[in-house]
Amino acid sequence: MFADTWHLFLKYTKISLRMPMWTLFTLIQPLLWLIIFTQLFKNFVQAPPEGGSSYMDFFVPGVLVMTALFGSSWSGVSLLREITAGTVDKMLVSPVSRVSIVLSRVMHSAVQVVIQTLIIMLVAWLFGATLNLGPINLLLAMISIFLLGVGLAALSNGFAIILQREEPLVMIGNLMTLPLMFLSTAMVPKPFMPSWIETISLINPITYAVESVRAVLVGTPDMSTYGFGAVIMLVFAGVSLAWAVNAFNGLRD
Amino acid sequence: MIQVSGLTKIFEDGNKAIDDLSLEVKQGEILALLGPNGAGKTTAIRVLTTLSGFDEGEVEVAGHNVDREPEAVRCTIGLVAQQTGVDYFLTGRENLVLQGHMYRMKKADIEQRIKELATYFELDSALDRQVMTYSGGMRRKLDIATALIHRPKLLFLDEPTLGLDIKSRQNLWQYIDKLNKEQDLTILLTTHYLEEADHLSHRVAIINQGKIQVVDTPENLKNAIHGDSVILNFDSESPAVGEFTYALHEDPDVNDVVWQNDSLHVYVDNGGVAVPKFVRLAEENGLVINSLSLAHPTLDDVFLKYTGTTLDEAVEEEGDEWWHQWAGKGGGGGGKWQKNWEQWQDKLEETGSDEDKADWQQQWQQWQGNDDGSQSKPTDGTANVDSNKQPQSASQNKGK
Repeated sequence: MFADTWHLFLKYTKISLRMPMWTLFTLIQPLLWLIIFTQLFKNFVQAPPEGGSSYMDFFVPGVLVMTALFGSSWSGVSLLREITAGTVDKMLVSPVSRVSIVLSRVMHSAVQVVIQTLIIMLVAWLFGATLNLGPINLLLAMISIFLLGVGLAALSNGFAIILQREEPLVMIGNLMTLPLMFLSTAMVPKPFMPSWIETISLINPITYAVESVRAVLVGTPDMSTYGFGAVIMLVFAGVSLAWAVNAFNGLRD
Repeated sequence: MIQVSGLTKIFEDGNKAIDDLSLEVKQGEILALLGPNGAGKTTAIRVLTTLSGFDEGEVEVAGHNVDREPEAVRCTIGLVAQQTGVDYFLTGRENLVLQGHMYRMKKADIEQRIKELATYFELDSALDRQVMTYSGGMRRKLDIATALIHRPKLLFLDEPTLGLDIKSRQNLWQYIDKLNKEQDLTILLTTHYLEEADHLSHRVAIINQGKIQVVDTPENLKNAIHGDSVILNFDSESPAVGEFTYALHEDPDVNDVVWQNDSLHVYVDNGGVAVPKFVRLAEENGLVINSLSLAHPTLDDVFLKYTGTTLDEAVEEEGDEWWHQWAGKGGGGGGKWQKNWEQWQDKLEETGSDEDKADWQQQWQQWQGNDDGSQSKPTDGTANVDSNKQPQSASQNKGK
């Protein structure tokens, strides 16, 4: 299974490398948000309550998570294309492990998201964000981002299999990403939220991704917040992945 | 190599995609599944290659049960599906390497095999180019090469030459033929091109509506329709049609009569003698023949005989209810005629041919006059009209 996953993962990576523009395109949106939001709210939020000395510092983890959100939520679209193109049938007719077909796609998407977030982080640093960029902090943040990417890509693949069509899948993707973003602590700290949004943010996995990344990258590292967030991410990734694999196994008509 | 008995697959919407299908493919032969779109060819292939489940029956491929040992089946078969399945962004070589890994082959073995296959399919020079630069014919060849990487004993080809130009098609035929002869590869292919089935296969299985209608060598199938076929075209609205077709039916020289849209196909032993007789007969009945042609039977006629439709028609009218073709157009379409013809044939079967001719005429006119789409039941109530009847009853053989 691991060898199968590895070979399929290599295939998707090769394809991505042949189309680097596509990977860069998905960075445009988070970059715009990073620039516009930090400029817009610069004077507005003078004293962020949790760590960091500026809104920029507070917002960077939010933009990193946003990059993961926009980058991996469309993984299912290309699965549908592969089903239509007959590529998936070609895999299914071979003895290749069924699990690895989903796993390789999800892993590829998550790794791609990690690379994208690293680029965004570099840009934020160039813009003057004060971040804890020690190797351990970086690694921990990336583990969290990776797990989020796995969970979101798995959800997208699972929805793709259940919906079987591209249009509703894109619709669900659009419907999910923005509210998930705003109903989390990515842009606004908890004390600034109306209580109903705060309640929703508590069950929103994005919140925990942002909190865990923020805990290690901004201000004084807070390992208990990170640990809790990372565990939630691990559960989120595991459950989504199991669901997607299960949906894929039910694909046989 | 393949043993199928009583295979039935019902889709979720209740449609029977495959209906009690039984089939045997022997080691070393090429068998063509010939049938129109929607006949169940692809579904049958999907079941045989473990891609689809099924509802009833026993399916054994290469000595393994597809239901209980799908892994063992997968290792011994290769599939070239209708959609190419090769990755456009990868090079030909990368596609082949990946395929080799999916079959858990050793690295050296994969390289060895790629060398063989590239030479065999003359793909050497294109091997390191991305597949999107390939022509349709090259893509097909690469697709077949990927399906052969693990040295399968049995190859499934689903419409292998669909969408290819004539030259690439003939080129591909040579490869398929060579693979079978030189590598002793058993091949099951589906097609809706008659000449493909005729040219390539040792045996042809005609499939329609999920059922195998007949399996035999192309030669035997063609010989079964002996003599010539005379195709008549005339104004199908004319009231004289009923009398004329009845007269044809009663003619001892006529082997078989089949309606196909506005054409009447009449099978006779000697076309040269029959033609003047038919012309005379039409004149006697006051029917004007618009055109008449005489031909030796082809597989198309075989197909018509067993399915009640020609392949071209079947492909075009796929999914069309017969009444869609003429409803609202004031009648005159082929579908209605064919339906009435079937009804007429049914009645003939039920009541025997010695029924009063006047009655026939009356019945025929009554059916034809019925323009609102609902079919009137025969007045005597003996014949049971089923609008979903199997089309093969459209042809009635007089037992020759």
